[in-house]
Amino acid sequence: MPTLTPDEWQALALSLKVSFWATALSLPVGLLTALVLARGTFRGKSILNGLVHLPLILPPVVTGYLLLLTFGRRGPVGAFLDANFGIVFSFRWTGAALAAAVMAFPLMVRAIRLSIEAVDARLEDAAGTLGANRLWTFVIVTLPLILPGVIAGAILAFAKAMGEFGATITFVSSIPGETRTLPAAIYGYTQVPGGQPQAMRLTLIAVAVAMTALIASEFVARRVARRIRDG
Amino acid sequence: MSLDVRLRHAFGSFILDVDFTAPAGVTALFGRSGAGKTTVVNAVAGLLRPAEGRIVVDGATLLDTARGVDVPKHRRRIGYVFQEGRLFPHLSVRQNLAFGGWFAPRTAPQPDFGQVVALLGIAGLLDRSPGLLSGGEKQRVAIGRALLSAPRMLLMDEPLAALDEERKAEILPYLERLRDETRVPILYVSHAVAEVARLATTVVALKDGRVARIGAAADVLSDAGAAPLFGPTEAGAVIGARVLRHDPDGLSELAAGGGRLLLPWVAAAPGTTLRVRIHARDVIVALRQPEAISALNVLPAVVAQIGGGEGPAVDLSLICGPDRVLARITRRSLIALDLAPGRPCFAILKSVALEGRESGETTAAFRAEDR
Amino acid sequence: MRPPRHRQLLAALLALCVTAAPPASAQDVMIFAAASLKTALDGVAAAWSAETGSEAVVSYAASSALARQIEAGAPADVFISADLDWMDYLASWGLIDPDTRRTLLSNRIVLIAAGTDAPPVEIAPGFGLAALLGEGRLAMADVDAVPAGRYGKAALETLGVWGNVESRIAETENVRAALAFVALGEAPYGIVYATDANAEDNVTIVGTFPEDSHPPIRYPVALTADTANPAAADFLEFLGAAPARALFEAQGFTVLDPTDADAHAG
Repeated sequence: MPTLTPDEWQALALSLKVSFWATALSLPVGLLTALVLARGTFRGKSILNGLVHLPLILPPVVTGYLLLLTFGRRGPVGAFLDANFGIVFSFRWTGAALAAAVMAFPLMVRAIRLSIEAVDARLEDAAGTLGANRLWTFVIVTLPLILPGVIAGAILAFAKAMGEFGATITFVSSIPGETRTLPAAIYGYTQVPGGQPQAMRLTLIAVAVAMTALIASEFVARRVARRIRDG
Repeated sequence: MSLDVRLRHAFGSFILDVDFTAPAGVTALFGRSGAGKTTVVNAVAGLLRPAEGRIVVDGATLLDTARGVDVPKHRRRIGYVFQEGRLFPHLSVRQNLAFGGWFAPRTAPQPDFGQVVALLGIAGLLDRSPGLLSGGEKQRVAIGRALLSAPRMLLMDEPLAALDEERKAEILPYLERLRDETRVPILYVSHAVAEVARLATTVVALKDGRVARIGAAADVLSDAGAAPLFGPTEAGAVIGARVLRHDPDGLSELAAGGGRLLLPWVAAAPGTTLRVRIHARDVIVALRQPEAISALNVLPAVVAQIGGGEGPAVDLSLICGPDRVLARITRRSLIALDLAPGRPCFAILKSVALEGRESGETTAAFRAEDR
Repeated sequence: MRPPRHRQLLAALLALCVTAAPPASAQDVMIFAAASLKTALDGVAAAWSAETGSEAVVSYAASSALARQIEAGAPADVFISADLDWMDYLASWGLIDPDTRRTLLSNRIVLIAAGTDAPPVEIAPGFGLAALLGEGRLAMADVDAVPAGRYGKAALETLGVWGNVESRIAETENVRAALAFVALGEAPYGIVYATDANAEDNVTIVGTFPEDSHPPIRYPVALTADTANPAAADFLEFLGAAPARALFEAQGFTVLDPTDADAHAG
């Protein structure tokens, strides 16, 4: 494997950092959303479902633009967060993480929701009759049983985040060290004549990371599922 | 302790409308599939909210739609044993059992883990995973788990339905012990008359969403009017009988209220009171004491009640001493023998089935005062 | 001579991902044009359609991206680039018809600020751009590939300011995206074409870069080598006609006469 230049390392390290935080912080939200969609019965459930899947269907650039309008320096949420908590997304890796998280969210929710639906709701009823309230039932019964799905969903989201480009570049542009993730770097190199070797090297790395993540996701999910089944 | 259930709920065109009060002991909720039994039990457990209803267990109001009371299921303290067991697959047997204990309120009397395990004979299974247990073992663990949640009442929804005959026979004694040795009242759903006959103190018979008959087990099972609910093959009275002695030729002699009974050797010590079941189809009615017949069990009786219906067969309820026995004969014979309430006769019992043990207490409740 | 296989393949993959050329019917002309031309060229294309009855379909993107797409075989009839280098690049691969090439327009680059009444900035050697930016960023198109970015970088280098602001740049895919960042207030300042600033109400031109601080901004236009569309040549002619000139000048472009120095490398 040929060695990487400092610029290439920077892009790779930034991608890993952005994807990690995007996945880690959206996991609780994704879990809650999947739970609500799987077990909830309320008006507007299909609207929620639609919203969750929107990033999957909208062109990434549109999603990026919407993020820019909402979380940018002058956007309603962005300005509020900056003024009250000092959280800034504009042109920062936090913005890249937000874009990656939003784009990966539907995949995460889908995977977790499927695994929740696979848990026999009657087991949850049984836990209820034994005195466990909804929270305890979730923690002791549901969560361990959906763990394979949660892990698979997280890894899938991580892989998607690693590959996120359109929304990121529209929202926070491409700033080396801050928002120039692996895909943005690859794109940049292809735009410059003579940038092919770098682009190719980074592409191979991106493919390797994605394949590793997907294989690991499968492996972990199967291991955990087997352990639960056999006790 | 009592169970007070009144509810009304509609499923499409099927309307469930029940109203009954049951005393302590095992209350069997009997009926055909679709009669509404599981709905009633789910409503008591809090898994289903009926359109209208009022459920009071041991003085505690769990549901009262009129006053907006609906205690959530995790606070009702009703132990539920499901048909499929529903053990948590990712926890060991020990952890499944302990689960109930984790959420039992501190103020409730804590059942003793060792005692429950001994009662159900599951000591050897504690470290196994639920996936590796047989059906009967799973059910026993499920019962133990429900007991350990210190419930004020146990619900059992056809707990033996998914088991084969051998497993059923294996568990029934444990259920009898449950009935006799714990103070916990049980609402037992079943469509199997044999189970009801063996275990029930009180029977609530449901038909088409309504309570068709309610009363002490002995009364309901020997009621000629209620016999159609149980079907021609299964209808039959249960009576208590005390073992007197075991004869060397392989027969045991028992004393029932209305006479002596001889059964093939019974594995119980003299003095033990047992529950015997007499299928209606196994009873022949004679006007005179028969001579020179092979049947050994002949009890003098008086016709008490003739069942309704128009078919070729008819059910009779006969009084034999303090007990009642159900007989199923042809209408032709009914007319030919001119049987009517008050007519003395003889009940010839072709076969007597042994159903199980009777504890002193249950026998007392079982033989209701109002005869 | 065609570019080597692997370059074509990579360029093709990218072309798929970035912008898809909309399908065109027989008499329609497919034009690839630099993003900065959007407002003016839309008008010109509409005028041409009204006159001839044929459809002029324009795909706008950074000149770099468009050149890549043409290299990969995108079905463009006409290419208008924002700098000479990308046209030269395609010419070197024989992808444009050299006889149809001419330099169409000229432009200026300006420093813009967010809002409608920002104070003017004196653009002189060593001017305090870094101080002006403060915590914010300077929005510019990609400084290595996109013409507007390259001109901007050249200007800042000439003025001796590049070193101070190099780490404060927010690079975008094309010049219009940089314009959008400033218009939204996301970036306090940006470097775009004068014509872009004219097209956008929410920015103010606070200074114009001296023409000698960067290579001359030239917009060459040519027919692609593969085009067999007779209407394309007609459109090319129309670009030099009076109505088109008026539209370009209204946006702030300088229209060059065909006799003006067509400074291009072979």
